Amino acid sequence: MNKKIALFGAALGISAWMLLSGVLFAAQPAGAQAEAVKGAPAQSGGQAAPGAATSVRISLDKTSLQNHGVVNLSGTAPAGEPVFLEVWSTRRVRCDLFDNKVDKKTGKIPYILYMTEEMPAFYKVLVPGDRKAILEAAKAQGKSWRFSDTLKKCGALVAFQAPAAIRINRYHVSLLGSVVGSRGTELAPMSAKENGARAMKLVKVRFGKPYAIFAPVVVTKPDGTFTATIAVPEGSPGGTFHVRAVAGKSGAASQTLSFENHVAFPYVYLSNAGTTMNLLWPFLLSFAVCTFGVLMGAGGGFILNPLLVLIWPLPAAVVAGTVMPTVLFSQASGIYNYSKIKFISWKLGIAIGLAMLLGGFIGPQLTELITLSQFKFVFGIILIFLAGLMAWQTTPGYVARNKKEKAILDQFQKKARETAAKRAQAKVQAA
Amino acid sequence: MEVSFWGESFKVNLIVGCLGGFLIAVLGSMFGFGGGPFMVPLLTVGLGLPMYLVVGSSLLAIFFNTVMGTVRHFQFGHFDLILFCAMFPGAILAGFVGPKIAKGLSPLMVKRIAVVGLLILGVRLLL
Repeated sequence: MNKKIALFGAALGISAWMLLSGVLFAAQPAGAQAEAVKGAPAQSGGQAAPGAATSVRISLDKTSLQNHGVVNLSGTAPAGEPVFLEVWSTRRVRCDLFDNKVDKKTGKIPYILYMTEEMPAFYKVLVPGDRKAILEAAKAQGKSWRFSDTLKKCGALVAFQAPAAIRINRYHVSLLGSVVGSRGTELAPMSAKENGARAMKLVKVRFGKPYAIFAPVVVTKPDGTFTATIAVPEGSPGGTFHVRAVAGKSGAASQTLSFENHVAFPYVYLSNAGTTMNLLWPFLLSFAVCTFGVLMGAGGGFILNPLLVLIWPLPAAVVAGTVMPTVLFSQASGIYNYSKIKFISWKLGIAIGLAMLLGGFIGPQLTELITLSQFKFVFGIILIFLAGLMAWQTTPGYVARNKKEKAILDQFQKKARETAAKRAQAKVQAA
Repeated sequence: MEVSFWGESFKVNLIVGCLGGFLIAVLGSMFGFGGGPFMVPLLTVGLGLPMYLVVGSSLLAIFFNTVMGTVRHFQFGHFDLILFCAMFPGAILAGFVGPKIAKGLSPLMVKRIAVVGLLILGVRLLL
């Protein structure tokens, strides 16, 4: 009995330490977040020459949308100049990127985590229709396409302003830091130029594919008037959207106009994921997947997570962190039911549980360090491995052995239930 | 380590058990799944323990991982309350409906369907 208490004590002590260190550490990003709540990025037209600021004008055909829709834009710019439009949402979302590629200059691996809380939840660069070939070329490159190169080739660098000034925190990640549960030591802020370059990489992380960021929809006439359609697809955040036009050669920028996207139930904006969703779908999906999970004897997480990542553009870390707690209740009730009939070896469960506690402490931080494609790749391998495991469990040899085991299991469980019932009866009689 | 359970005593190789449990926990909390389908074979096939000892004890071990993983994801800001509130009732409801459907189905058939489904999903993720 004493041993059991000591084991419990050790478990409690270790968990307390882990939680404490986690709480201490968590205070840091919370502070950064509070500070991050500030207005839109620099509104000035950048390098616009004095007097030229008024040479680009835009107007919108409507100022509000319902969940999603299309806003038509028209305007004038100096004749002969390409026009770029930047559209962004004032809603902000977290986005991070772990740089573990060898630096060509120094030959070393930087191991730096770039993290921002201020990525616009919606961001789009509208380019002239004739830039379509450039976007197609970027699309053909697959995952290795580069946002900065594409921006440059389109001549749209001048238009990249809203995300350029987002605050990016840098952390130097170390193996030891990961073990004690830290994101790493925070590095000094970057120069504006470097910040802009990193922001471009983060934009790609957040939005993924070329056509998710660019749209070749600006139509310019020889006299300098132009039109464009701003498509706000389903799943876009609610709230205020800003639009600004920039002339490609002079860099002259228009004033910033806004429109509102009203999101109404059952559509709800998920602030942590940066996506608007019809809440009925995750409910139905979770119900269907978890029901099947009960049947096949595996938790729903194996199927639910990849589906959530594949169907909606939800950040992998948010998916993992949100699905995990959904099984807490069912696991706890399972443990309670087993413990009522004394069908748990506490010693074995806690001994291995402590090792799993440590694993669960490290894992969630690692989720931040992998990209979406790495997440999908590793998850794919895990699922195929699981499929192999389950296929093996349907082979005749396994089934025969399992039947025997199952019979013994049932026998033991019956005995345990009877003992528990007897004990309860004895208690009642004693009272 | 010696474990006694319902009048029998078993020798458990703690090194293999803890190492395996640790790895499953890292992957499980990293990708947000429980790890039961890996834990049970680890303890039965890997450590040679009988099923009746494993069912309850592995659930307890996994619970440690789920609690810690949940807390840590929350600390890192990976938790979305609204999404959780949409999915949680579905999961609870499934806990009541699932066992009722299970009675009328052959577990072997369900497993075979699961294998096909998992393979399709896994390949889709790799592409």
